[in-house]
Amino acid sequence: MTAPPAKATLKLPSYCYQCVAGPDLLQVRVEEGTAVAVEPNFCASEIHPGAGRVCVKAYGLVQKTYNPHRILSPMKRTNPKKGRGEDPGFQPISWEEALSLVAEKLNAVRASGLLDASGYPKVAASFGGGGTPQSYMGTFPAFLAAWGPVDMGFGSGQGVKCTHSEHLYGEFWHRAFTVSADTPSCRYIIEVGCNIEASGGVVGVKRHADARARGLKRVQIEPHLSVTGASSAEWVPIRPKTDAAFLYALIHVLLHEEPRGSLDLAFLRERTASPYLVGAHGYYLRDPSSEKPLIWDEKRGEAAAYDTPGIKPALEGSYRARAVEIGPDGERLDEGELLGETAFEKLLAHMAPYTPEWASRICDVPAQTIRRLAGEFLEAASVGESIEIDGERLPLRPVAITLGKTVNNGWGGFECCWARTVAASLVGALEVPGGILGTTVRLNRPMSGRIESVKPGPDGFMDYPFNPTDREHWSPRPNIRNAYRTLVPLASDGPWSQALGPTHFAWMFLDGTPQGLPEVTFPEVWFLYRTNPAISFWDTQSLSEKMARFPFVVAFAYTRDESNHMADILLPECTDLEGLQLIRIGGTKYIEQFWEAEGFALRQPVIEARGEARDFTDIATELARRTGLIEDYNRAINRGVAAGLRLKGENYDYSLAPEKAHSCEEIWDAICRAASAELSEGAESEGLSWWREHGFRTRPFPRLEWYLYPALVRQGLRFELPYEERLYRIGRELAQRLHERGMTWWDKQLAEYQALPAWRDFPALWEKSVVAAGGKPEDFPFWLVTTRSMQYAWGANAGSELMREAAANIAGHGGVVINARAAARLGIAEGDLVEVRTPRRATQGRAVLREGIRPDTLLMVGQFGHWATPFARDLEVPSLNSLVPMSIDLTDATGSGADLVRVGLSRLRSRR
Amino acid sequence: MTRWVMVADLERCVGCQTCTAACKEENATPPGVQWRRVLDMETGEYPDVRRIFLPVGCMHCDEPPCMDVCPSTATRQRADGIVTIDYDLCIGCGYCIVSCPYDARFRTDRARFAYGGRPNEAERKRFDERRLGVATKCNFCVERLDAGIAKGLSPGLDPEASPVCVNSCIASALYFGDIDDPQSGVWVLLSQKNHFRLHEELGTGPRLYYLWGSP
Repeated sequence: MTAPPAKATLKLPSYCYQCVAGPDLLQVRVEEGTAVAVEPNFCASEIHPGAGRVCVKAYGLVQKTYNPHRILSPMKRTNPKKGRGEDPGFQPISWEEALSLVAEKLNAVRASGLLDASGYPKVAASFGGGGTPQSYMGTFPAFLAAWGPVDMGFGSGQGVKCTHSEHLYGEFWHRAFTVSADTPSCRYIIEVGCNIEASGGVVGVKRHADARARGLKRVQIEPHLSVTGASSAEWVPIRPKTDAAFLYALIHVLLHEEPRGSLDLAFLRERTASPYLVGAHGYYLRDPSSEKPLIWDEKRGEAAAYDTPGIKPALEGSYRARAVEIGPDGERLDEGELLGETAFEKLLAHMAPYTPEWASRICDVPAQTIRRLAGEFLEAASVGESIEIDGERLPLRPVAITLGKTVNNGWGGFECCWARTVAASLVGALEVPGGILGTTVRLNRPMSGRIESVKPGPDGFMDYPFNPTDREHWSPRPNIRNAYRTLVPLASDGPWSQALGPTHFAWMFLDGTPQGLPEVTFPEVWFLYRTNPAISFWDTQSLSEKMARFPFVVAFAYTRDESNHMADILLPECTDLEGLQLIRIGGTKYIEQFWEAEGFALRQPVIEARGEARDFTDIATELARRTGLIEDYNRAINRGVAAGLRLKGENYDYSLAPEKAHSCEEIWDAICRAASAELSEGAESEGLSWWREHGFRTRPFPRLEWYLYPALVRQGLRFELPYEERLYRIGRELAQRLHERGMTWWDKQLAEYQALPAWRDFPALWEKSVVAAGGKPEDFPFWLVTTRSMQYAWGANAGSELMREAAANIAGHGGVVINARAAARLGIAEGDLVEVRTPRRATQGRAVLREGIRPDTLLMVGQFGHWATPFARDLEVPSLNSLVPMSIDLTDATGSGADLVRVGLSRLRSRR
Repeated sequence: MTRWVMVADLERCVGCQTCTAACKEENATPPGVQWRRVLDMETGEYPDVRRIFLPVGCMHCDEPPCMDVCPSTATRQRADGIVTIDYDLCIGCGYCIVSCPYDARFRTDRARFAYGGRPNEAERKRFDERRLGVATKCNFCVERLDAGIAKGLSPGLDPEASPVCVNSCIASALYFGDIDDPQSGVWVLLSQKNHFRLHEELGTGPRLYYLWGSP
């Protein structure tokens, strides 16, 4: 791949997609062939909701490019022993030798079959979180598609440490892999642990600042005063993992203390399952012949199928109707004249005990505060208001509750996500202007069209691609090691599902597979790219030890790190400013990334590749050629695997000849032409040279498509809330399948499948884990939590000197944040070296004393604990990841855990 | 008469340090030297705590104490109010560093780079030996300003003529402009919103204004 000529000074467009809050469109200033600075791309200010500006991390790209610690030639391990204490003895080798070694292994795998005796793929691949590496790995996905089965379930945190319950339940309820406030229209936000100013990227920061300026009130509910809390109107310090209690009390106030008429009753009647009648066994009462759920028609005074035209559904009450009640596996539980309560009536009864006074004792938030916030939420919802969007009149409900990591994953995550979404539905603030929006889909199809993914499913709800739980189709033989298809119906079975299963199970089961699953094996070949699970996952010590037992590891390596320390081959690929790739931009994507434009952006080499670094596309092509897969590889590119863009459309055909190994530029030129054609409906065909000059191209994206509500109205569908009959049924079926195979180790998780989730003592689960690890709860009186660092999150920035310097200005980076008075009680002063310990592990760090943290909570920012990554290994920054255990008991039904742990704290020595 | 000022809206700033990083890159300052940075401060006691982010740097004071103490006349004030340092005149005595109430000045005696004593390619290209052993500080990106004005551009409006920290701010919390021009954005902001300056009691006339509270 050639860089532009080394003229005096150039400004070249590109993008940064180091984290899911991107992409940011930028320009790189290049002086005589050397990249010297990153600048905003103000040419994009009209189409980019962040006004073309770029995140702090992007300013580190120049330093990242010229980092002297980069791997600049292929390397081979010479020490066969692997382990933290072993020097890998990496020696430079030629690309020819490196690719031959990799291809030899791959060809041996192909010759003996792609699956092992347990049925698991012999090849595994792990990439960093949120799909961001895909914006840097060129056509490698096409190589993997050509290869066949690959286990992508060895996680590095994704699928487990993400906002996992939100991903799965969010997609189920409102096509919301990620949930955002409609910030541009919102007036009131309750953020429960959501650190949007650190995780929302440039767009999030800009939008929230604009919203505050026009009067939006944001209330921050979290154990420590984050950067988001700092710019919120109010901080409410809540006890960790009790968020569901707070949200339940909020709903209690809306249902039992506010006038019923202040809720959006029309929305509840027409767009939710609130009027569906529920029978004695907990399943919907159904019409005996059509088996459609019944509602009570107040107009005629009789039961009717939910979709009967011209009826007026009763929201409250109990009614008798001729009906059938059908349970799991199609079992007819009852038939005849049956008594049913409306789902809303059941919700009323369910939420009755959860008063603010009850919640206050659990979550340590005063009852009057909960009451006040519920009242503010209701008032701001402005039930009855409407707004015109793109010529269509929609409800305007400018209120949102947003959830953050650790709140919306792990035990309690389901309850929080359910409560948040129910609260929105009570005031009609779901998928309408001002309310909460799903901004992307990753499990439903098509991935690029959230609105198109709305299709009619059973019982008047949207369809959802559950993994089957019926006797005929459920399988105890997982396709990959983390068993997502067997254990997690909500994870579905698409390309993203592998990384959305219980990805810690792949690691855990290597040392003992639970009963009923085929023995979990080590993959014969493991590819690693833009991921460092030895740092970013939990129980990092054990994980590193397991990683050392992988027989053949190929790491696309930027610098040495803790995971590629165990590699056999290091391959240096062109990094951010050296590689070539075209990606889709705009439309609606992660978090706050919903735009009024959509199109494509190019990442291009702004300088010659350093050392022997090769473009990822060239590496992928060469691996395809050497493994005899070039035709399948080219066909995968032609059908859009690399860029999410088919090279042949209605009005154009830029397909690659399948039998030939094309150069990187040929491939991306074809993709650029297809992108030009797609955006112009075949009228234009600009290739790579045009895109290198202009960087991006878009067309308008209708704002109306931010909202799912119109699609549901058009199709006469309802949100599957508040009563979760389908989840309840699926849970019972899954239980029966597992028990039929003698598998009882998932029983605690099966209890999560509830029609109306009850509060459970979630904090106690973590206290019990202390006892299970041999400790006494009183010795571990603190909660240790973590928080997002905008400067470090993703992108291998722990080794960046510039990010270290910038981040050091923000309190907490580099130490253990402790409440000042709690520290004083333990004789700990600012800067003292302290030990933070669990019954089994301990770590050390410098005390950072702050007032903005609960006395029972400690905080470690970001993910550190490096011991191999140059520069980062000298920072001596403690990490929560080294302390959090991997445990089935702490895994919820979606296969997720949460980033917190009970710890003890003591002073080791003073600052001096 | 033009008088350049900067305005920081504390209701918008989220302490992300994008300005810090952008400034460092644009001005090629060595590790530890931050002409622009954002302080992270707390007031109050748990649970009644406020956390505030405060962008700071050279305030380009009307009456710069650094200039008064400069024995070599290296520190000067332009007609437009920008306080500059002539590296050829500066003797590195450090009086100005001590006299600055805003801790805005730096002196680096030996070449330092991100990863030790050797510069990377970008650092080598940007290295300016004249900056060793002398005082340095924010200059409101004066070269950009002058070049932009020469092209007929408007500082504070046209990014090419504006300080890099202002261009980079993802919260649009930083503004730049002529306080003597009633048409300028900064003039409008300061006439409509509550504002203050740091250590105003010292009488130096700092020209970094902070918007705070409503209106």
